Amino acid sequence: MIKSLADRLLKWFCNQDYYVDIQGDLQELYNDHLENGQKMAQIKYLIDVVLLFRLSLLKPVTQILTIKDTGMFRNYFKVSVRNLARNKMFTLINIMGLAIGLASFLLMNAYINFERSYDTFFSDADQLHRVSYVELIDGKDGVKDAMSSYLVGEVLNEELPEVIQHTVSKPHDELIIKYGSSIFREKKVITADSNFLKLFDYRVLAGSAETMLNDPLSVVLTESRAKAYFGDKDPIGQTLQVLAPQKSPVIVTGVIQDAPANTHYNFEILLSDKTLELAEEHDYRNWDWNNYYVYLKLAKGTDLSSLDEKLAAVAKKFVDEDNYTRLDIHPVTDIYLKSDFTYESQVMGSDQIVTFLVIISVFVLVIAWVNYVNLSTARALDRAKEVGLRKVIGAFRKQLVSQFLVESFLVNLIAALIALVIAEASVSFFNQLVGKAIIDHVWNNVPFLLSLGVFLILGSFVSGFYPALVLSSFRPISVLKGKFKTSKKGVNMRRALVIIQFAASLILISATLIVHRQVNYMQSRDIGISVDKVISVTVPPSNASTEEEYEQYLSRTNSFKETLRNHTGIETVGATSNLPGGGASDINATTTKIKIVGHTDLLDGTTYIQFNDAEFLNAVDMQLVAGRNFDRRIRSDSNSVMVNESFLHRFETPNILEMVNQKIQFGNDPEDQFSIVGIVKNYNRTTLKSHVEPTIYLPSRRARNLVIELEASNYLGGIEFLEETWKDFYPETPISITFLDDRFELLYDQDRRFGDVFMVFSLLAISIAILGLYGLASFISLQRSKEVGVRKVLGASSSQIIYLFYKGFITLISISGILGLPLIYFLMSDWLDNYAHRIEFPWFTLLISMGIVLFFALVTVGYQTSKVASLDPAKTLKYE
Amino acid sequence: MKKFQLGEFEEIVLLTVGVLFDEAYGVAIKREIENRLQRKVSVGAMQSALRRMEKKGFLNSRLGEVNAKRGGKPKRFFTITAFGKQALEYSKDVRTDLWNSIPDVAFDVKVS
Repeated sequence: MIKSLADRLLKWFCNQDYYVDIQGDLQELYNDHLENGQKMAQIKYLIDVVLLFRLSLLKPVTQILTIKDTGMFRNYFKVSVRNLARNKMFTLINIMGLAIGLASFLLMNAYINFERSYDTFFSDADQLHRVSYVELIDGKDGVKDAMSSYLVGEVLNEELPEVIQHTVSKPHDELIIKYGSSIFREKKVITADSNFLKLFDYRVLAGSAETMLNDPLSVVLTESRAKAYFGDKDPIGQTLQVLAPQKSPVIVTGVIQDAPANTHYNFEILLSDKTLELAEEHDYRNWDWNNYYVYLKLAKGTDLSSLDEKLAAVAKKFVDEDNYTRLDIHPVTDIYLKSDFTYESQVMGSDQIVTFLVIISVFVLVIAWVNYVNLSTARALDRAKEVGLRKVIGAFRKQLVSQFLVESFLVNLIAALIALVIAEASVSFFNQLVGKAIIDHVWNNVPFLLSLGVFLILGSFVSGFYPALVLSSFRPISVLKGKFKTSKKGVNMRRALVIIQFAASLILISATLIVHRQVNYMQSRDIGISVDKVISVTVPPSNASTEEEYEQYLSRTNSFKETLRNHTGIETVGATSNLPGGGASDINATTTKIKIVGHTDLLDGTTYIQFNDAEFLNAVDMQLVAGRNFDRRIRSDSNSVMVNESFLHRFETPNILEMVNQKIQFGNDPEDQFSIVGIVKNYNRTTLKSHVEPTIYLPSRRARNLVIELEASNYLGGIEFLEETWKDFYPETPISITFLDDRFELLYDQDRRFGDVFMVFSLLAISIAILGLYGLASFISLQRSKEVGVRKVLGASSSQIIYLFYKGFITLISISGILGLPLIYFLMSDWLDNYAHRIEFPWFTLLISMGIVLFFALVTVGYQTSKVASLDPAKTLKYE
Repeated sequence: MKKFQLGEFEEIVLLTVGVLFDEAYGVAIKREIENRLQRKVSVGAMQSALRRMEKKGFLNSRLGEVNAKRGGKPKRFFTITAFGKQALEYSKDVRTDLWNSIPDVAFDVKVS
């Protein structure tokens, strides 16, 4: 079987002069190989045949092609070129439409593939999984925490035979590192144990992969960080001075490749896990300390659902007996697009957005293809005589079909070449649009060129097949007699396609408008605090080793704050553990049960915790509903707490205002009580995608993030003073100032980009559709020029004739509206549901988008028909 | 300017054709090379080299008798042409020349 197939292949490509004896050679070898079994011999035979595919052994190309009548093909080609050249407008519209459509489709595709490629580059990507804690409330999933406890990895490795290896890592605080005379702030530092590089097999450029993370105080740098520190010097064995958070020298033990952009867990420096063993001993041995990302490598082909029971058993045995926690195992390759966990290390992508992009890109391409189909069939009249004549001379239908396919291939080929140019020219704009460097160049990007080729072929068939069938179906007698009429069926098909085009355009335009409205809404909504003139700096962490030193550090922070407050450009200076405008995970939380003493029972659920000083409230204009702010002068305030409305609503107490001066208690320990001194009005600390979390605010002297409210009239002076004062207080650390409103802006970066992408591509889609409509209108009006002439002779005015044409198109667009609007509603309400604070479904934007589509369509059609309507009937009717 | 275009593999094939003299056909050449040089030779690489050299005029070929063991297909026997012999000699001369031009010292240097 294999052998005869291979033989046919050989016969097909091999030069006839050589075939006989080469086949003889192969046969002889085959007979020899038969000793090792027939299967083996056949496979060897096939391999030999494949290896024989060499230029010097090939048949001349003309013999390989099964099509022998190249003369006819040359004729098809010539006629196609002439036809295309004769109808310049038609050609231009088709080619430009296809080129733009193809270019945008392919660029979008590159982006979609990039989004889907996250973490797939590891050798055992399909075996890598992450363990996370899911809180269970009444058996249902509550807050899903991407992080789990340090011990989980170890225990799962012991208890589950499916687990091959595990590694534990956590994002580390910013390191301030001194090397030579330069100081670096390293923000992307994570800890890693010696297994880390076994699971995530980044290429090791220097040092030993086995041992580089074994010892305390070892760091592994990525290639670009190593360059930044050491240039061309050998980094291995070099010592770096860490100034903060802990003064200590570290030794560079390895260099690995830069982590690529498409990983869910990005880093620039690996700090050996052992370094922290002493400091975090308690955390390492604690089941409730969910501060670590725990990764497992499972045996190949492990069925995740088969692990459920074992995981539940482990959770019950080790984590808590009452089943308030579920252990979840999640494939690493799914994390980026499908994560719905809190405490992710970076902003994750969205599966939904990727699906949207797939839809957009397909829409754009289909609209371009439809243009070709419509324009080609509309022009059928022009080609009918040619087809009739060819048939009379004896052409088969099959030949005519292939003629028109050649033509569509030609158009698609030119379009593909132009698409390549367009894509290359717009690649940097595109990268900017999506905010990621997806590709540098398209012309040397193999996957891009490959899909260009695939869609060139596919497009030639999809767009060329129907017109080819229509055009080749004419009956020569009626056509040549001049009795040819456009068929009802053809017209209806064309109408249906126009409807599809405009429905697609309509969906894209409305979606664009809705996305923009939602983003604007989120940005302009009152979030409950005011951050317009608030900036923030983070003072360096303490490196104190004794209580006394730490007190010194705190008083230094305090006098820094005091100094700032004395300046006229600065109104207030507060401090907090978590700056407003941070990501979803930029907050502390506890799952310990809480009750309000004397009012409620212990209640499940996650409570969020923020540590503020007394001035924080004023600095960001947090509103009090009842009670008072912290007051440093009141001694008992170290045991007080402020809570937000959302926290109290969770307890379903009838009047939340009465809760002032009541006490909350963590767990069953009556010692663990705090009295509520103030109730804070709900405010959004992060995006409006999430609800305001039930939060308690604890007083703290230790918060390092200073929020500085500037005096509007002298804010520049204030900033300048801040910079000078910083240099006096913290000469070793470079200052980095953030504007809080920028932080909030940044939260919506992804949504805004999504809106922009939507806008650009819906503009492209509508312009391609309009381009097609322009062509279609011009053909139809030309074809109906005689009818127009007769109407005019009978006394119709130009405007009546234009109205006649309009009527047809308006009906089409109305139908596309009726079809498109429900789709928009379903798609976009689904999207809006992602946001805790969403706009009402904006029905009137649908009207606006209908208006936009109608306007462009009518202008286009009007322009074309008015040309025909103004023709002198004497001229158009001359030949009848 | 190269006078004769003869690649390393081509040279080996050409020499082997010479070695086998009257019995030089595809499978025999392949086996001979594999035995002598202890390296795998694919039919494709060898046939392509043979045909290339035939085109260049280094080799002549004739079809032999029909052979039942070969599924009724004849063998094609190759022989070296005079031009082919020149090419081999040229290649050998170049090498000898190069060998002779290496100063003796070059081989005396010890790698420490």
